[in-house]
Amino acid sequence: MVTIEERIDALTERELQHGLDVFRSKLRAAEASYLNACVHCGLCAESCHYFRMEPTLENVPARKLDHVAAVFRRHFTTAGRLAPGLVGARGFDRAMVRAWLDAVFGRCSLCGRCSLNCTIGIGLPRVFRAARAALAAMDLVPDDLQATVDNSLRHGNNMAITREDWVDTVQWLEEELQMETGDPEARLPLDRHGAKMLFTVNPREPKFFPLSLQASAKVFWAAREDWTLASDPGWDLTNYGLFNCNDEQAGQITQNLVDAMARLGCTTLVIGECGHGFGAARWEGPEWLQRTYPFELRSMLDVMDEYLESGRITVDPARNAKTVTLHDPCNLVRHGGVSEPQRRVLRRSVSRFVEMTPSREHNFCCGGGGGQLAMAAYKDRRIRSGGMKAQQIKDTGAEIVVAPCHNCIDQLMELNKEYRLGVQIKTVAEMVAEALVTDGPPPTDGKGTT
Amino acid sequence: MGQPLHLAVLAAAAWAVGALAVTWLRARGFGRRVLLAPAAGDRSAGVCYAFTRAMLPQAKESVRMHLPSYAAGMVFHLGTFAAFGVLAFVLAGVDLPAAVVWPARIATLAGALGGLALLAKRALTPHLRGLSSPDDFVANLLTTSFAALAGAASLRPQLQTAWLVVATMLLLYLPIGKIRHCIFFFSSRAYLGAFFGYRGTFPSAS
Repeated sequence: MVTIEERIDALTERELQHGLDVFRSKLRAAEASYLNACVHCGLCAESCHYFRMEPTLENVPARKLDHVAAVFRRHFTTAGRLAPGLVGARGFDRAMVRAWLDAVFGRCSLCGRCSLNCTIGIGLPRVFRAARAALAAMDLVPDDLQATVDNSLRHGNNMAITREDWVDTVQWLEEELQMETGDPEARLPLDRHGAKMLFTVNPREPKFFPLSLQASAKVFWAAREDWTLASDPGWDLTNYGLFNCNDEQAGQITQNLVDAMARLGCTTLVIGECGHGFGAARWEGPEWLQRTYPFELRSMLDVMDEYLESGRITVDPARNAKTVTLHDPCNLVRHGGVSEPQRRVLRRSVSRFVEMTPSREHNFCCGGGGGQLAMAAYKDRRIRSGGMKAQQIKDTGAEIVVAPCHNCIDQLMELNKEYRLGVQIKTVAEMVAEALVTDGPPPTDGKGTT
Repeated sequence: MGQPLHLAVLAAAAWAVGALAVTWLRARGFGRRVLLAPAAGDRSAGVCYAFTRAMLPQAKESVRMHLPSYAAGMVFHLGTFAAFGVLAFVLAGVDLPAAVVWPARIATLAGALGGLALLAKRALTPHLRGLSSPDDFVANLLTTSFAALAGAASLRPQLQTAWLVVATMLLLYLPIGKIRHCIFFFSSRAYLGAFFGYRGTFPSAS
C-alpha cells in the first residue's frame, strides 16, 4: 500500500494544478472574503482546543488559515503574484501540500469555535473544507478516513455491517424491547411501507451501543409513533463525506437516505443522535444533491421534545437522580442550530441538570469531530486536545455526561479513561427511556407500531 | 488644495479606492453559494447580531481573554479614523472646528500608542511573531506613523509635509496588504452572520 507521504512525493505538476483547480472551484465570495481578511492578530489562538492543550504556533487557527491563505494570495491575487515575500504568498507545492494536510486534517476538527472568536469574523471551517476538497482531489485524504467513506459507498453504512447482521440486531433488540416493556406487540419495525417516520441511526449503535437504539425504540413505543427502520441502505445517518470533503461521494451517501425515504414512502426523515449526521443531512445534503428534499427532516431531539411538550410521553425525573451535564456537539449546535430541544428534554427527564461552562455555541469540541476519530495518525493529538472537554466535565461535578452524538460519545469514552473522569456517558434518548412513565402496554393503534 | 503633496494624497486615495473596489469585486466574482436547505433562522438577524452583540466581550471569549489587546485595537482604529478625518479637512483647505482640535489630537496620538503597543506585542509574542509576514509590520508602521504624525502635525505644523508623505504611502499600500481588511472586515462579518443566522445559531440563545 502506498502511504500518503509517498503519494505526496509522487505528485506531478498536473496533479498539483488539479488540486488547485478544485480548491478554486470550492470557493465562493464568502470564502474569498475570508481569505482576504485575516489580520494575524492571533486572538483566535485560545479559542482552539488544540492550542489550549498544546500552545504552539501550528495550533493557532490563524496559522492553519494562513497556510491556505498564502496559496490563495499567490495564485489568486495580484499582490501575491507581484510581491509574494511582502504579503506572505506561497505557491502550491509539495511542502505546502504537507502543511495543508497537517493543518486541515491533522490539527482541526472543523468545530468552528475560532469563527465566533475571530476579530474579523472569518468562517475558518468553510475555508478548510475547500482545502480538504483539494487534498481529496489529489487522493490525499488519510487512508482510514477515506476507508470509512468507501464503506458507506460500498456497503451502505460506514462500518460495513451486512444486511443480515443489521436485521438480526434489530430483531434481537425488538425481543429485548418486548421484555423490557412487557408488551409483546412492541416493535422495531423494518421496512414498514407508508410509515410516517423513517428513523436513521449511527452504525455504532447496532455494532457497539445497541441499548441506545433500544432506548430510541422505547421512546417511539411509548409515543405510539408510526415509524420504521430501513433494512437496505438508508438506515445509516452518518456521512463522512462531510469530512473528506469529496462532495460527490458525500452526495452519493446522502442519496441513500433520499432513496430509502422514496422506497418506503415515509414523510419525515428522523436523524438519530449524531452531530455530523445531522449537519450532513440537514444542511449540506441539499447542496451536495443540488435539490431540496421532498420530505421533512427532523432531529430525534426535536421529536422527543415535541412528545414531552405535547404530553404524548411522560417522564419522571426522579428516575434519573444523578447529576447530569450536556455536551454540545459542534455540528449539531454551533453549526446545526439545535441547542434548546435537548435542554428542554433533559430538564424534564433528570433531577439535576448542570450546564458546562461555556456551553451551547461557545462549547468546546470534544476533539473527535471533523473525522478525527477515523484518523489514527492524529490520535495522540485528538486525545490531548480533548483535555479541554475533560476539564469542562470535571468542573461540572456531573456523574453522567449526555452527548447527543455517537462520534462524540466514542471520544468522550476515551477521554473518560485517559483523564479518569469516572462518568457515565449516555444519549438523550437513554435518559428519556430511563425516565419514561408507562402504565403497562399502551393500547394498539391498528398500525402495529405499539 | 492644489499643492503637489495634496494632489499626491488625492491620487493615492483614488488608487486605494479603485484598487480596493477591484479586489472586492474579484472576491464577489467567486459567486454566491446557492442554499437549498430550508433556513432555521433569519440571515438578516444573524448579520445584525454579528455586527453588534457578537463583538462584545460577553459574546467573545477572545476579547475577554485579551482585553488590553482589544482596547489597544479599538484605540488604534479610532485614532486611524480620526487621522483620516483630519486629513479630509486639510485636503479640503478647511480649518478643523476648534471644539474637535484637541479630541482629534488625543485620539490620533492615543491611536498611535495603541498601534505601537500592538506592534510590540507582535514582535515579542512568539506565536504572533511566527504568524507575521513583512506585511504585518509594514501595515502597522505606516498606520501608526500616519496617526502619530496627524496628531504631531497639529502641534507642529512643520511636520505636515512628513505626514502627507506618510499618508500618500499608506494609501498606496492600503489595497496591497492586510489593511484591505477595511472592506473585507465588513463583508466577512456579514457572511459569517448570514451563515449562522441561516442555521439558527445567531442571534445567540445564551
